Amino acid sequence: MLKKIAQGLALAAALSLPTAAQAAETLKIGYSIAKTGLFSQAAPSQVNAYDLWAEQVNAAGGLDVAGVKHPIELVWYDDESDPVKSAQIYERLISDDKVDLLLAPWGTPHHLNIAGVMEQHGFPLVGNTAGSVAIREVEPGNIWFPTAVLPDRIGPALVDMLAANGVKSVSIIANVLPFSQENLQFLVPALEAANIEIKMNESYPPDIKDMTPLLTQMKSANADAVIALTYPSDAFLYTGQAKELGITTPYQFLLIGPTIAAYKDAFGPVADGIITLGHWSPKQTDWPRAQPFFDAYVAKYNSAPDYLDSALAYMSCEILQQAVAKAGLDHDKLREVISNDTFDTINGPVKFKGVENIITPSAFLQLQKGDMELVWPKSIATADLIKR
Amino acid sequence: MTIPFISTNSSLPAVSATVIGAVLIVGLGVTMGSYWTVVALNLFMWIALTQSWSLFSGMTGYISLGHVVAYGIGAYLVAVTFKMIPLWLSIPLGGLAAGLFALIVAIPVLRVRGPYFVILTFGLAELVKYILLYTETTFGKSSRLLFGAPKTEVLLYWVAALAVIATLITYFVGRSRFGKGLAAVREDETAAETIGVPVTRLKVLAFAASAVIPGMIGGLMAMRSTYFDVLQVFNPTISFSIVTMAIIGGAGDARGPILGALFMLGLAELLWSTAPQLYFILLGLFLIGFVLFAPNGLIGLIKRRKQPKGSVS
Repeated sequence: MLKKIAQGLALAAALSLPTAAQAAETLKIGYSIAKTGLFSQAAPSQVNAYDLWAEQVNAAGGLDVAGVKHPIELVWYDDESDPVKSAQIYERLISDDKVDLLLAPWGTPHHLNIAGVMEQHGFPLVGNTAGSVAIREVEPGNIWFPTAVLPDRIGPALVDMLAANGVKSVSIIANVLPFSQENLQFLVPALEAANIEIKMNESYPPDIKDMTPLLTQMKSANADAVIALTYPSDAFLYTGQAKELGITTPYQFLLIGPTIAAYKDAFGPVADGIITLGHWSPKQTDWPRAQPFFDAYVAKYNSAPDYLDSALAYMSCEILQQAVAKAGLDHDKLREVISNDTFDTINGPVKFKGVENIITPSAFLQLQKGDMELVWPKSIATADLIKR
Repeated sequence: MTIPFISTNSSLPAVSATVIGAVLIVGLGVTMGSYWTVVALNLFMWIALTQSWSLFSGMTGYISLGHVVAYGIGAYLVAVTFKMIPLWLSIPLGGLAAGLFALIVAIPVLRVRGPYFVILTFGLAELVKYILLYTETTFGKSSRLLFGAPKTEVLLYWVAALAVIATLITYFVGRSRFGKGLAAVREDETAAETIGVPVTRLKVLAFAASAVIPGMIGGLMAMRSTYFDVLQVFNPTISFSIVTMAIIGGAGDARGPILGALFMLGLAELLWSTAPQLYFILLGLFLIGFVLFAPNGLIGLIKRRKQPKGSVS
């Protein structure tokens, strides 16, 4: 009996004595995400990366804040794919929830809409899934963009890749949403400069439910390559309907969508040979952090990460983590470190000039026998581009 | 679809209370911090939009499901002229452009009634959205950044002022000869025309007037976002929300839109962060409940409680 009492007292004492981890205050890290609405298919890629990162950080004893480790807790709200609501959520996270750090929402409109909130509060945030030349209009100092998918770099790079593989004509279809249209804006002049004939160039609404008329037109155009400037939901629609209509164009590029694991799971071998946007691969051995991230992600979620969005989301966490380890939570110091340091990420080194990552090149991935391979540029390629 | 409407019998003290209430909410919003400033801003935005909708649809019985078109036109004009002309000029111009657009389309649009009018107004808003979207993309302007806009507090003052003005307009029009004419249209348009009510003129004027304040609100709310694209400001959800607030609050009485906006925003603030799905479920249930059991909205329920027992309404 006495032994039991002694054990109980010892346990109570152990529970009441704060360990180093318990003593450190839990840090709140906030974000908004498109859990519902038009962009909800893209959200899990990003949220999974955030959750994995938070789990890894806590498993390692917490987030290193200038030498002191703190456990972290993620605080998020559904922005319903509405950029205006996203801005309101960040306002709440900063002024009401009083979060210590912030992670980014999904998509260009959301990033650019919260840029004003960051500027107003002087709160530093490392973005991730935004790709627009408009980011350069954002005043440097409160938001940074590690992405390499900027339309004025993608268009010429895509044309270089197609020209190098003997493409003489293309058919283009484009979603009317901003990222697709901005890419179209830079793609067309690059194609014209390379003397690649544009046999078809049509735009379609974001909530398109049937692409049959467009794809029938595309089939009869019989170009060497298809460039479909898609968002995730229409990338799924295109692939399904292109198969039904027997579109066998040797080079088929889809802007956003194929990097999501669900895309490969949905289409299997049908999607083999599809080319898409992305500058990360676990197979690139020059980036030693890449494969461990891939393995940890697969172990946790039993599916591959999104090669674009999960990678970018995780990169943004790595950048924030390394900056906080050096600067702590002081916004001015964080701003200085993020602006000037070079960060070691799963996508290799990242350094910002203004708001833009100046190291990572614009690149393309191709599904080859179920694997995503980096196929362009040659400097980081893990495989050659092949015909479908 | 018809929504029964209540005859207007609000009193002047209620209007004074609205003005004082607006000042108090602005003060509270500003002192409670930036998030609550945004909540107050949203509240006044919905009050202004729903009051403007009520000015036409509430009084005539023509249910517009495309009121976002006025909001979008105002927002678009302010966004494209941002930093080219001063806001004190572009925002009223946004309101005028929306009013002018309504005036131009009024004659053909107001020739139809009932469900045809509902569908036509919805389609019109979608048509304008896609015309502007294709215009923007053709000129390579798929989006715009609006940095350097006024602070949220400043926008709040303007939007609150417009909400008060919209409330007073609805209140006074309801008591005017013009308002009585609109009520006659609502009760029996053919009979009204037969006895000499200038039906077409009244409808066109109310339709155009109801677009001016939403145009200005759109311009001001465009300043709230640093990112502008056409899809965002022509979002049909804005029209649906306006009609929902009018049904819940009660149309045809200046107090109805205030109650509707307060109810919906209160419900949203209570639930959106903790149980967003529950919010939409409850909203649907409330909507069904109000249409079936309290078609005159919250203001109708209040009036019913105040009515002496045994009196004939």
